[in-house]
Amino acid sequence: MTLSLIIFLPLLGALLPPLFIRLGRTACAWSAALLAGTALAILLYHSPAVFAGETLVFTQPWLPALGLNFSLRLDGLGLLFALLILGIGLLIILYARYYLSEHDPMGRFYGMLLLFMAAMLGIVLSENLLLLLVFWELTSLSSFLLIGYWKHRSDARQGARMALAITGGGGLAMLAGILLLGHITGSYELSVVLASAELIQAHALYPVTLALILLGAFTKSAQFPFHFWLPHAMAAPTPVSAYLHSATMVKAGVFLLARLFPALSGTELWFFLVAGTGTATLLLGAYHALFKHDLKGLLAYSTVSHLGLITLLFGIGTPLAAVAGVFHIINHATFKASLFMAAGIIDHETGTRDMRRLGGLWRFMPHTATLAMVAAASMAGVPLFNGFLSKEMFFAETLHAGWMGEWSWLLPLLATLAALFSVAYSVRFIHDVFFGTGPRDITRKPHEPPRYMKVPVEVLVALCLLVGILPAWTVAPLLAAAAASTVGAELPYYSLAIWHGFNLPLLMSLIALAGGVILYLLRFRLFALHDRIFPLCDAKAWFECGLARTIAVSHQLTAWLENGSLQRYAMLLVASVLIVIGTSLWGTTLTGPVAMGTVDGVTLTGALVLGVSALATVIWHRRRLAALVLLSVVGLVVSVAFVRFSAPDLALTQLSVEMVTILLLMLALYFLPQHSPAESSTARRWRDGLLAAGAGLSVAALAWGVLTRPLETISGYFLEQSKPGGGGSNVVNVILVDFRGFDTLGEITVLAIAAFGIYALLQGLRLPSPTTDGEGRPWAEDRHPLILSAVSRPLLPLALMVSLYILLRGHNLPGGGFIAGLVTAVALILQYVASGVVWTRERLPFDYIKLTASGVLVATLTGVASWWFAHPFLTSTFEYVQLPLLGKFELASAMVFDVGVYLTVVGSTLLILANLGKLTLVSQPHEETK
Amino acid sequence: METIIEALVALFLLIGAAFALVGSIGLAKLPDFFMRLHGPTKATTLGVGGMIVGSVLYFSTRGEGLSLHELLVTLFLFITAPVSAHMLAKAALHLRLRTVERTRGEGALPRGDAE
Repeated sequence: MTLSLIIFLPLLGALLPPLFIRLGRTACAWSAALLAGTALAILLYHSPAVFAGETLVFTQPWLPALGLNFSLRLDGLGLLFALLILGIGLLIILYARYYLSEHDPMGRFYGMLLLFMAAMLGIVLSENLLLLLVFWELTSLSSFLLIGYWKHRSDARQGARMALAITGGGGLAMLAGILLLGHITGSYELSVVLASAELIQAHALYPVTLALILLGAFTKSAQFPFHFWLPHAMAAPTPVSAYLHSATMVKAGVFLLARLFPALSGTELWFFLVAGTGTATLLLGAYHALFKHDLKGLLAYSTVSHLGLITLLFGIGTPLAAVAGVFHIINHATFKASLFMAAGIIDHETGTRDMRRLGGLWRFMPHTATLAMVAAASMAGVPLFNGFLSKEMFFAETLHAGWMGEWSWLLPLLATLAALFSVAYSVRFIHDVFFGTGPRDITRKPHEPPRYMKVPVEVLVALCLLVGILPAWTVAPLLAAAAASTVGAELPYYSLAIWHGFNLPLLMSLIALAGGVILYLLRFRLFALHDRIFPLCDAKAWFECGLARTIAVSHQLTAWLENGSLQRYAMLLVASVLIVIGTSLWGTTLTGPVAMGTVDGVTLTGALVLGVSALATVIWHRRRLAALVLLSVVGLVVSVAFVRFSAPDLALTQLSVEMVTILLLMLALYFLPQHSPAESSTARRWRDGLLAAGAGLSVAALAWGVLTRPLETISGYFLEQSKPGGGGSNVVNVILVDFRGFDTLGEITVLAIAAFGIYALLQGLRLPSPTTDGEGRPWAEDRHPLILSAVSRPLLPLALMVSLYILLRGHNLPGGGFIAGLVTAVALILQYVASGVVWTRERLPFDYIKLTASGVLVATLTGVASWWFAHPFLTSTFEYVQLPLLGKFELASAMVFDVGVYLTVVGSTLLILANLGKLTLVSQPHEETK
Repeated sequence: METIIEALVALFLLIGAAFALVGSIGLAKLPDFFMRLHGPTKATTLGVGGMIVGSVLYFSTRGEGLSLHELLVTLFLFITAPVSAHMLAKAALHLRLRTVERTRGEGALPRGDAE
């Protein structure tokens, strides 16, 4: 249980820093640090068990039917990553306190940082692969926010968008891969997946699964050819670069490689895909890093290169290579985060990161320079620093890579070449910044940063040295635990000593060191050469161009499908319904075994009236008023049909809906042109007629099919359960507020949203309203005739009483919140019609928006209240109480729910109609002022 | 007793139906709008009244107590019929609909003088 706290502390705590910023910047930083620190303490509390070889698992079902569980797992690998995330996270919080300027919104920064931290912890502690994916996407989103933190800068926005597009896209591929993995193994739980290596690798879908999962890992870890987003993500504030883009987020991809190492690795395909990509990235990154003039650009490409190195190690696939990979993850996180922070300090103190302008800073900030030099030496792989140890292991592993056959000399050669470049750019980082001539064109005099800004760098640099000199006493247990859970089997023997005697890896190191320095000395000639060869390779331009093209294509596609014509949408809708019904009915026998019943005269007459008026509505649709009258005839006959077939609730609802609809249409007609031109061509009329006839015939066929078959419905169950289960004898209402209460809640929410949407659309709308009717006659002066308004006013309390009665009796007799709400709405609208908008608003000053919202709120709270009594959401209860005078009286919690429905219906109906009615004022103000 | 009740019910139904019929014929046959307005608003209201009396009689004598639902129908009919007749007449006056010569009143124009 406490495992989940490690994630939830920063996740929920992300809300705290934006609040604490009111107490000052230091309080804000403390709030974030305390949360991360507590999570770290919980993690350390669990760590002894992990070091003893245990795997802690915590499972809480979430959506078990989909295989999604909130299950967490703490093993060596997870512990290592969680330590990195929380430990470096704490240092970053301290660093950012001094890095961010007065103008930057600090609360927002820490909030997003904690959110990211929680997402990252979620990835490394997930036992369930789907849960892992959820957190994976969450890191993409939170890193998008963090990269775009300085949202006024276009490069930050572009970089953020690019990172989101690439890593989010990779996440989608990974989702598909994980689904396939779950399909193969039958479970999304890691313990099952990791134990089914043979099953997975023998499966026909293994290549596809592997490729999809690797796409996710490679995009996240900026592997070639997706590496280009990382340098552009450097538009982020430096603490973000140090945290996300060196220590944690970009490690998520290699973490995934390590996590699924036992299940997926060991095949030829794995080797060529992973090791191949790793090698390409390693070389490309190392090469580009040397030619970047921007400090952070150099570090970004160097990160790309080191990520490639780690990927290559996992790709080699031997247990020893995996150990080296895990080791290099630790080392890279320490030295690269400290280098980023040092770069941030330099930027902060000099105002530039351009190495062509920097130089000679040793004189101004010797302390920072020393720290940076240690970290850079570690990056270059100089002995006595931690980078040297893992690099030695890396060289040794490249010598033993399988699958390469007679080409096995190639890998060590390329590795040495990459290391050579790595030494060169490390030397450049130090020499171009701290030594030589300069600085040039600097507006302020550089000096050492605030004391506490250097503390995080010092901590990390000290770690670099400690691990580098005394590996067996510092990092060994953690590495062993992490590597053991990566490999998933007994670890092979390895030695963490600095000195292994004169051997090939040492020779490769020496070549790299010497060659790197020589390469650096030749740098100016190389820069010139590079500028001649690579001016065209601007990945960002390509990306933006591709993005623009994609957007253009989707615009075209959308315009083609969605051309703004409602008639066309209706046509497409009806046609698709026709196709679906037609294809599913094709070849089936329509007539069932039940014989036809008799038909009585009244029903037949009703059906005829219905049919004729529906047809007449269509024929006279251009004579709008006549069509409207005929339409209301259709509605009335339908209501009568409900009465005929014993559905009084439906009849009442239909009647009130009819009234509201006709009023709405009357209002709409007022604004429409008085004459409808004949717009449809004959061919189109034929097409629409055929479509309509086809749709009508299909529905008739379906009805025929249902009616001639024996009736098997679920209504029997509801009829039986209504009284004992829901406490009401009106089954329709009990279903609405109790059995299917959740549906109803959804429906009223949709109703409220629709009303708000219409309200929003009507805001500021100015419709040209006609001053005369179709034949040029002006409207009557007397807008609100006396008799109608005089009669309608006393009707209001009467109608309200009736609606209250309908509401209260709804549980047992026809009625309920929906009908009562419509009756009230009709009564209120009558006042609008009879006495005008201004008059009514003065006397009914309700805020319909609040009314609607309170309805949804009441209904939801009724549902939530059942949690209070430890029942599932929306469980209803009822009680009979004896009241004096009134007698036995039923109180059901569902009635409160019904009141919520009532309020929502009244609120949204009036919100729509009253605001539409108000448009008549806006468009003709002079009429009202008279 | 029962026969007398049934006869009375039948009588009121017939009276109601006769008024309704007369009102409908008037609606169809009378020469101008203001005359036609009388049919549905007066004669037919009376027709419905007759049927309501028949209904009260019938349901009150079945041993289930006095049936007074119909009074509500009457009440609402008395409210709605004049209101709608008034609105229709106002609209017709505003639009200066053509009338026959026998129709008199302010605003009503004889046939031919319209517009």
